Amino acid sequence: MESIISVRKLTKSYKNVKAVKAIDFEVEKGEIFGFLGPNGAGKSTTINMICTMLKPTSGDIVINGYDATEEKDAVRASIGIIFQENTLDEKLTANENLLLHCRFYHVPKEQREKRIHEVLEIVDLVDERYRRVETFSGGMKRRLEIARGLLHYPKVLFLDEPTVGLDPQTRAHLWEYILKLKEKEGITMFLTTHYLDEAEISDRVAIMDQGEIIAIDSPTALKDQLGGDMIELKTEDNEQTLKEIEEKIEEAEVTVDGDTIHLKVASSDAFISTFMQNFTIPITTLNIRKPSLNDVFLAFTGRKIAEAAKE
Amino acid sequence: MEGIFAIWQRDLLKFFRDRARLFGSFTMPILFLLIFGGGMSGSMETMMASNMPEGGEGFNYVEFVFPGIVSMTLLMTSIFSAMSVIEDKDFGYMKEILVSPISRVHIAVGKMFGAATVATIQGMILFLLIPLLGLSYQLTALIQVIPFMFLLACALSALGLLFASFIRSTQGFQLTVQILVMPMIFLSGALFPVNNMPTWMDIIVKINPVTYGVDVMKKIMIDIENAQAAVLDAMGLNITVWGREVTIVEEILFIAGFATILVLFATLSFKRANA
Repeated sequence: MESIISVRKLTKSYKNVKAVKAIDFEVEKGEIFGFLGPNGAGKSTTINMICTMLKPTSGDIVINGYDATEEKDAVRASIGIIFQENTLDEKLTANENLLLHCRFYHVPKEQREKRIHEVLEIVDLVDERYRRVETFSGGMKRRLEIARGLLHYPKVLFLDEPTVGLDPQTRAHLWEYILKLKEKEGITMFLTTHYLDEAEISDRVAIMDQGEIIAIDSPTALKDQLGGDMIELKTEDNEQTLKEIEEKIEEAEVTVDGDTIHLKVASSDAFISTFMQNFTIPITTLNIRKPSLNDVFLAFTGRKIAEAAKE
Repeated sequence: MEGIFAIWQRDLLKFFRDRARLFGSFTMPILFLLIFGGGMSGSMETMMASNMPEGGEGFNYVEFVFPGIVSMTLLMTSIFSAMSVIEDKDFGYMKEILVSPISRVHIAVGKMFGAATVATIQGMILFLLIPLLGLSYQLTALIQVIPFMFLLACALSALGLLFASFIRSTQGFQLTVQILVMPMIFLSGALFPVNNMPTWMDIIVKINPVTYGVDVMKKIMIDIENAQAAVLDAMGLNITVWGREVTIVEEILFIAGFATILVLFATLSFKRANA
């Protein structure tokens, strides 16, 4: 695969803090690249450097063949950014916002009409084209921002927490649009989010913590690294159960959290059948689940993402 | 160049769309004209007359103060329009501008032209009051003065931009700028002649760009060729720097230079900005 973003030894230090510590990674053409980590992990600093908004202390960033510190304008023309907060001019209409963007990005005059229509169609806002943005709902504004980010046909679209502040329904809808974009346009997407379940749509994810990238792979591979499925078990006599597990099932990794026994097993199917045949103690609850990215985060950092964010 | 145009157009579009601002922009200068033109002309003319040998027959205060009020309107509107930079930062739009490939100079120049155009429009609105005030300026003089008004407004907008680039809140901007604007008006010869000032004040008068702006406007608008030397003297239309009377061309160059230097400084702040 050809890479569209390549980051080498990227470092950013402030007076006495190293916010980003010599990180390396590549983003491949056409993939959805999830960039995860708690607040203060150095995510925003990294993205700002990639987007030419912040000067790196050292290291190289190459996007679409251009150097992010030397050829800023070429890099800026190659990327589209959907910021966490609203950056539309609400006093203007959707059409005016889009036209201004065409001008900022030197979209040729004769193509503007076609492209505006095209991007509005992708996000289902054709009918709202001449309405003022201040009359839009939160979800519509987000969609309009995505449309605007696509106007200049960027090679990479950065989505910084695109669903923050949206209700679950709108959120699900927005992901549909984003997936549609990936399929139809083949745009590379660089995505940051707090919601680890949303990051599951990524082809690959990088997990950043305390200025370093601690894991980078596809979500499935990362979860497989954790070794199989998670089982949560409550029984009437946990001590006896633990003893029996030790005797009869060898390959399980066991931890106890209060009155819950957590088991990590290679395959839950095989485990359950052995378990049912051999155990005598009555079970009060049994919960089987596939590991989530949250478990991955927990395994790599020793903390849950929510706890890490509080630090 | 398209970037300059886009930024300029956006600021203008927003100006015409904001009803309250439009209304305010019409009324404020009119109010000033009424107060200064109507209220003060009597006393000012008596005061001036006592200083003049022939009893000050040729001195018409309203004629004197009108270009001053226009300059004052230019000053206030230019500087306050530059506040849009802070608003754009607050509402996030500045990010959209800063991540785009527009050159940073074009951003600053576009903003300067936007504020200056709004100010010039407001200044021109005042021209409508000329017949009501019983004044008669030559039409050619009014047409000649418009490009100059735009230049002056550019210089003052650049000053506003510079302040807007390092002040973070709109409240802070308004406070700071008010402290700046008042002396700039009073020590410019806009409302009263700035002859015979104490030295330290005279220095402020001479470095104040509004002084030259007001002076050029008065020289273009008031029929100086047919006026008595004593009246011109009393009006203060003979600014001397280092013992030499400055010419209109020098004044225009000074203002243009002021605009250029300040807009470049404002550009620097856009360059290192990471909004």
